[in-house]
Amino acid sequence: MEVGDCYIGWATDEDIRTRGASGGLVTAMLAAALEKGLVEAVVVLKKLGEFEAVPVVTSDPEEVKAAAGSMHSVPIVLSRYLDYGTKVALPAKPCDARSTIEQAKRGQVDIDTTYIVGLNCGGTMHPAVTRDMLDVMYKLDPADIEGEEIDKGKLIFETKDGKEHAIKIDELEEEGYGRRESCQYCDVNIPTMADIACGNWGVIGDLAGKGTFVEINTEKGIEILKNAIDAGAVEITPADDKGKAIRAKVDGAMMNVAAAANKKYLSPIEGSHLDYYMNALSDCINCGACKTVCPVCACGEGAKCTDFSSASDTYKMSLFHLVRFVHLMDSCIGCGQCTDVCPVDIPLTHIYQRFAVPMQEEFEYKPGMDMTTPPFFGVDLIEEGH
Amino acid sequence: MNENIFTTVCPGCSIACGMYVREKDDGTFDIDWRKDAVVNAGKLCRFGVRLSANLMNATSKVDGNEVEFSDAVTAAGKAISDGATFVSVGNTTCAEHLALMKLAGSKGAVVNTGMGAFSSIPAECHPTMGVGIPFDAIESAKKIILFIDPYEQYPLLVRRILAAKKNGAAVTAVGWKAVSLADDNKTIDPANYESELALDSDSVIIAELNPSTDPERVMVLLNLAKASGAAIMFMKPFVNAVGCDLASKKTEQKSLDQIIAEINDGSIKTLVCLDSDLIEIMPDETAVREALGKLDNLIVITSRTSAITDVAKIVVATEPLYKKAGTIVNAEGRALHNSGEGTDGIDAIGTMLGQPVGMYDEVHAALLATLGIDAVDERVIPAYEKPDYAAMDANPTAEAVETALVYAGGPFLWNGMVDDNDFVEMNLDMVLANSLLKGIPAKITSDAGEAAVKFKVSDVAPGVVLSNVKLPMTTGMVTSVTVSR
Repeated sequence: MEVGDCYIGWATDEDIRTRGASGGLVTAMLAAALEKGLVEAVVVLKKLGEFEAVPVVTSDPEEVKAAAGSMHSVPIVLSRYLDYGTKVALPAKPCDARSTIEQAKRGQVDIDTTYIVGLNCGGTMHPAVTRDMLDVMYKLDPADIEGEEIDKGKLIFETKDGKEHAIKIDELEEEGYGRRESCQYCDVNIPTMADIACGNWGVIGDLAGKGTFVEINTEKGIEILKNAIDAGAVEITPADDKGKAIRAKVDGAMMNVAAAANKKYLSPIEGSHLDYYMNALSDCINCGACKTVCPVCACGEGAKCTDFSSASDTYKMSLFHLVRFVHLMDSCIGCGQCTDVCPVDIPLTHIYQRFAVPMQEEFEYKPGMDMTTPPFFGVDLIEEGH
Repeated sequence: MNENIFTTVCPGCSIACGMYVREKDDGTFDIDWRKDAVVNAGKLCRFGVRLSANLMNATSKVDGNEVEFSDAVTAAGKAISDGATFVSVGNTTCAEHLALMKLAGSKGAVVNTGMGAFSSIPAECHPTMGVGIPFDAIESAKKIILFIDPYEQYPLLVRRILAAKKNGAAVTAVGWKAVSLADDNKTIDPANYESELALDSDSVIIAELNPSTDPERVMVLLNLAKASGAAIMFMKPFVNAVGCDLASKKTEQKSLDQIIAEINDGSIKTLVCLDSDLIEIMPDETAVREALGKLDNLIVITSRTSAITDVAKIVVATEPLYKKAGTIVNAEGRALHNSGEGTDGIDAIGTMLGQPVGMYDEVHAALLATLGIDAVDERVIPAYEKPDYAAMDANPTAEAVETALVYAGGPFLWNGMVDDNDFVEMNLDMVLANSLLKGIPAKITSDAGEAAVKFKVSDVAPGVVLSNVKLPMTTGMVTSVTVSR
């Protein structure tokens, strides 16, 4: 097994295979990592309802197995739950993986002890929007939903009577439903920066729906997959060229969709930029939730954005945000968490991306894609002779 | 390495925002965002975000000495005599409140929720004063009149009002400070509300009812709602104020001012406070401390350390709200169930009553009966009847004085917590007239004393010094002061 190899894999345990997505490979791999002592803990989403799950850091393999299955209506970034020094594994959408790497660059995460099990992602949905969408677009009671999946551009809900209800995601998004705005313009769908990238794209033939396409990206990726195979938890077979080509084609199509959304949402500001930002931030209540939830912020309590601002300031525009706009230019990955938690519904991710994307393009730096490129605002200590 | 995670609500106000609390092995906790919460979609204001930094668990004490929980319960049981007065403003679950009502009943007393307005206003108005309207209904209003500052007092209403504006609503704010989301900020004589506001049945009035609210002002607003057909919602500063009021219906209530007066005249000797810190809640902290010092027995059953736990004779320390088994009813009348299974408070009250087991099931069943429901479902608001009421003669106390320190309210103030709010606000004219300089605190003086406080220039009404933090020279929600450098 080598870095760059691609396989189709599945869990050997029938229960995990049935409950987990695409043959349950990711669940089996994470549980085996705990059972065999490869890691001390795994971060998973503990399911509390069809649209509700809470991240937990657990050392209990049964809790990992119970978390099997994808949840597109739980838009949470898991990297915030990592503790430095703990040998840990996490299932990681591209934004989970990218923020983990950004945190590692800032010394908050030990990348050598963190196993990033990447998951392909076409986007997530806010649970409140999902509930409205079910009512308005699908004419379904959210309480009747028993499962959901995204397949061939459609969002499919399964009801308790066993029926499937599908609507094209494009159609949903035209009506203001579907994926979160930041997911619509996100152009990283396959987590190539993770130790191992997993998903159902490229799984064809008899294995379609029953297996997971796996790409090995690092030595740690080999380690966690081999650990699961050695434990008898996972079986694999090499992926064929046709499957690889289909996977690349799906990724390409998703990137085109993202590019179109980027044009739609991040078009140039018309009129005064100052007015735009002052209006956008005029309802800010100084809660600090956007900073607290930010998965790439590594500043803690003694941060520049909070040190240079106070609720007693009389400025027309918050210095807290102005400092953050600049400070996050080299790390904002557009994950959408700040917008999700803003109590006055300021589209913060949108605004941060307006600052970050042009600068990231200027410096040809896409945050969180690898450990080798330092943040462009960071001082390169080696180059400086230290 | 396992965590305890509780699905609960923020204790900051009667919106009762859904949240998770993530408790670690060492007993410390962090909050987390519960995006599927129907009330707030996981969003929290600064109070909720910073809850773990501000909330301190209580410690059981007798006569100032730390004791075991069971010893504090025994001491409290002995000290609570016939004639004791009970207060629970709504900072705990309905179950604990109902248990306290049972204990109070056994002593021939009632539990006072502290909302004096309920005693002064006809009973047929109480349902309208108690349960508000669904927050969704704010979003579909055509006209919204704010008698609150949503940014400071009830921040999670801001997004509802902004959504209403997007849907075409006109927003008018009537208050001490201009509210930026309002299309119109006005100061109106209460006698002219009806003519100047021109409301109708598509309108929503949002006001506040707190222990210091002048009942006459409540009557004016009720009259306004009645005359126009507008919906009215009285927000409350305590998370379960609505639930406790529903539980306490049909009982004669004393206002907190009455209770303090009766302590001072010697007719109250024993006071039992359930998660109700009168030092924090009442504006004149000095007067309250003096009164509490005259009691034979001040018994505090509480989940957190606060000013009153330092002066109580007996502190019965219960688990924090997020760990309690039980239900909260928010300003909409929505019942919200805690995932916690803690029953320290219930067990303590049950033991004092001689019923150490089985109390939770009994009081929870009583709550369901009160709400007319079989089970708590956060997505279904119970049906509440709101009978018609007659218009009332109302003469609100004039609040205008030449220069007045006014408490703005807000979760930090009502919970006695200082954060990034240790400043007062005044308009530029007042700053210039008193030669105040940026960086030098303003001196605020009243008959009761003085304090030097940071200030901020804001669009507040002339003569008003607005504060979100308790200051030592205050004698009421509105205190006549002078300002100098």
